[in-house]
Amino acid sequence: MLDVRPVLFISGFVLLVLAAAMGVPVAVDVATSHSEWPSFLVSAMASAFFGLVLIAANRTAGATDLSIRQAFLLTAVGWGLASVFGALPFYFGTLRLSPVDALFETVSGITTTGSTILTGLDGLPRAILMWRALLQWLGGVGVIVTSVALLPILGIGGMQLFRMETSDKTDKVKSRLAVVAFSVLLVYGLFTLVLAVALSGVGMTPLEAVCHAMAAISTGGFSTSDQSLGHFGDGARWICVLGMLAGGASFTRYGAVWTRNRRALLDDSQIRWYLAVIVAFAVALTVWNWLGRDLEPYEAFRQSVFNVVSVITTTGFHTDNYGAWRGFGQVAFFFMMFIGGCTGSAAGGIKIFRYGVLFAVTRVQIRKLLHPHGVFVIDFNQIPLTDAVIRSVLGFMMFYFFCAVLLALGLTLFGLDVVSALSGAASALANVGPGLGSVIGPGGNFADLPDAAKCLLLFGMMVGRLELATLLILFSKLFWRE
Amino acid sequence: MFTLRPVLYVTGLLLALLALAMSLPALVDFVHGNTDWRVFAISGAVTLFLGGILMAGNHDGRQAQISVRQMFLLTALSWVALCIAAAQPFAFSALHLSPVDALFEATSGVTTTGATVLRHLDRMPPGILLWRALLQWMGGMGFLVVSLAVLPSLNVGGMQVFRLENGDRVDRMLPHAASVTVSIVGLYAGLTGLLTLALWAAGMSRFPALLHAMTVISCGGFSTADASVGAWRNPAVDWVVLAGMLIGGSPFMVYLNLVDQRWQAARRNRQLRLFLKIFLMATLVLGLWLIIERDAKPLPAIRHAAFTVASVLTGSGFATLDWGRWEGLPVTLLFFLTFVGGCAGSTSGGIKIFRFQILYANARTQMIKLLHPNAVVLPVYDKHQIPEEISESVLGFLFVYALSFAVVAMGLGLVGLDFWTALSASASALANLGPGFSPVIGPLAGYGALPDAAKALLAAAMLFGRLEMFVFLALFARGFWRR
Repeated sequence: MLDVRPVLFISGFVLLVLAAAMGVPVAVDVATSHSEWPSFLVSAMASAFFGLVLIAANRTAGATDLSIRQAFLLTAVGWGLASVFGALPFYFGTLRLSPVDALFETVSGITTTGSTILTGLDGLPRAILMWRALLQWLGGVGVIVTSVALLPILGIGGMQLFRMETSDKTDKVKSRLAVVAFSVLLVYGLFTLVLAVALSGVGMTPLEAVCHAMAAISTGGFSTSDQSLGHFGDGARWICVLGMLAGGASFTRYGAVWTRNRRALLDDSQIRWYLAVIVAFAVALTVWNWLGRDLEPYEAFRQSVFNVVSVITTTGFHTDNYGAWRGFGQVAFFFMMFIGGCTGSAAGGIKIFRYGVLFAVTRVQIRKLLHPHGVFVIDFNQIPLTDAVIRSVLGFMMFYFFCAVLLALGLTLFGLDVVSALSGAASALANVGPGLGSVIGPGGNFADLPDAAKCLLLFGMMVGRLELATLLILFSKLFWRE
Repeated sequence: MFTLRPVLYVTGLLLALLALAMSLPALVDFVHGNTDWRVFAISGAVTLFLGGILMAGNHDGRQAQISVRQMFLLTALSWVALCIAAAQPFAFSALHLSPVDALFEATSGVTTTGATVLRHLDRMPPGILLWRALLQWMGGMGFLVVSLAVLPSLNVGGMQVFRLENGDRVDRMLPHAASVTVSIVGLYAGLTGLLTLALWAAGMSRFPALLHAMTVISCGGFSTADASVGAWRNPAVDWVVLAGMLIGGSPFMVYLNLVDQRWQAARRNRQLRLFLKIFLMATLVLGLWLIIERDAKPLPAIRHAAFTVASVLTGSGFATLDWGRWEGLPVTLLFFLTFVGGCAGSTSGGIKIFRFQILYANARTQMIKLLHPNAVVLPVYDKHQIPEEISESVLGFLFVYALSFAVVAMGLGLVGLDFWTALSASASALANLGPGFSPVIGPLAGYGALPDAAKALLAAAMLFGRLEMFVFLALFARGFWRR
């Protein structure tokens, strides 16, 4: 039987971090003299208490090493508990959200999705806005750490490629976690700080600047206004574009810039592809907006670049209702949702490197057609791809599309129209945020969906965030056997 | 540069055969006193002339060996040439279709798609109707040959699973493949005859019965009425067409097993089993939806549901209900079924069942590997280990399929189609289904209203999807045209 004590032990620390984070909105609320702070205080105490109980009850003598199963379970339990306790302030607070709504908002935050069920953001208590941004920021940290330290060892969806050290023994999980977490956190925090300063420099209030900085770098997408970035000036928009771009690229490469050379960023083929895809879509949409929708050239450029970057990095900020760009616009944004950012970032989706692998495999396939007995090396980023990686990517793609299909069908079962269901499923799975169409499009809202649909979507966000197999494996008989 | 002679020779031969086929509608129109017979006769003569020149100019006394590259070129070239030649009667007849429309209709026929730009089919001269049905029938037969004999030996998209022999040299494989193919084409013709009789017995008159038999067995979808099969309002006809579509979408090797009385082999066909399971499950969901949401009576609901699911799954495109006007769950379900498609080795289109089975087998071993990283587990399909090559082939196929779907859909959006029309038209063309799922291109609407650029793009997508994409991609491979 699986020993769950180390899993619960570490989860307890996650809850402590969450409780500590709730101190920030308390401070904000006291400073802005609202009546929101009691709910945060109660939630913080509940989280801290529960966390301490978990830690105390599950302490084992000596340093324990995590087995593979425990690592899988830890990922799921850690994220699950954080979501439930993160939802408490929404549930207890003055907003009086229903349990489903509170959980939806929290999961959307912590998975850095950015779909919201709240309206009238501009008038909400500042503490709530701060908490939403904080959830995304913490979720972003969690994702980067998970995807840099844990997923490569677990071999999820071809992530084996990113094993950084020669030793890939699973008993090194914990020490690796610590090393990587520290260096990535440093870069992450630094970027947030720079962004916040820059944003307040172009006229945002300090709170708005901090919230947007956190939501941008984590590719989350919660804003402090219903019109998202449409509420702010051009300066803020362009700074956010840079922030999203930085947040969607591999954080491990930033370290390389520091330690090795300045070109390390562009030497990475994943980042090159990432930029190339963004440029291609931005150019196509700019031309289309300019010629097809008769926008002024600058306006066409600004709208296209901002929203393309927002969707490909799976952030979900918007400046315009691109969900209503009929024809090419909608179709292009729909497919962009399936791309996603780079691995080792907070961005979601299928991710660029998997497309890199697919592309490499296909290219060799085509050459093999002419030379059936030829021996070709399939490589990505100058690393030869092993069978295991290729099969792993194949498995990931299969799960991804299977989940997207099931989600979309489930959503239509609860009465959503085709466009909302397809784009909602794609958006949740890739942690983008807004979908397309009039209901859940940019500027729209998820509040009017039936509760069952919200539950499906939040499950989709979680599954997508943890790269599918990490969560899905818990539902297989194999996992619980022996 | 390799020699083009055998390629052009066989293309010429196929064109000559097409020309002979044109004599049938010419004959029918002549008997009915319709002036269109001249168009068919002239088109036939032109095609025969072109084919004859190609044959005569590239005749080679010896039995020519065909290399891999020649095989790719032959497959691609002959299908394109046949589509163009087959468009002549549409362009020059009393219909006066524009060149793009004529090409669209012919390509939709040859690829057994079934998307049409024609209206008022019920009043159409018999020659044109026969020609449309003939194109699909011949296209279906051609695709059977391609998917049984050509694609497996060319290693396209994991089709190597279906190699008939252990040898993997093209020239050695062909003779056996040829004999199997001959018997399967015989079966195809026999099944068409049986279907004609069944449709006639169910209440269709003889001419439409023959034409529908041809387009049903080929999973084509051209009908002789604007309202498709629904126009007959005859449950017996619906059931026969439904059975015919399922027969057309099942692997034809199974029928060969049945003829040889190898019952076990036929019953154990994994692909067929999953195909039928998917069909039954989707029918159940759609039937329940019709009963609950549309207040349909149970029996007609099941009939219509089964008919619609079979039509979409096999890529036929017949309709008894106008599913272009549905919303929500049923169209989303049908949309996804479009991608699934029928079985490999049948006349249906789409990604095909066996690829999903390979994917599933692979995903299962992935799960085991996650828990036991050092375990040696290999995915198994039909009791055989799936070699890495085939997994990669399937992966490549899916990637190109998804990419083509996205590119075609975006192209359609660019020429002005709305989101849902663009998505469903793209999926439908690639899977050789025919109608789409939006009111603009639904089964009772046709493609006549689309801009020419959209029609051209869709026609290209049909051909691309029909030949499983890699046949065309190979032509662009580095080194294909060298030496």
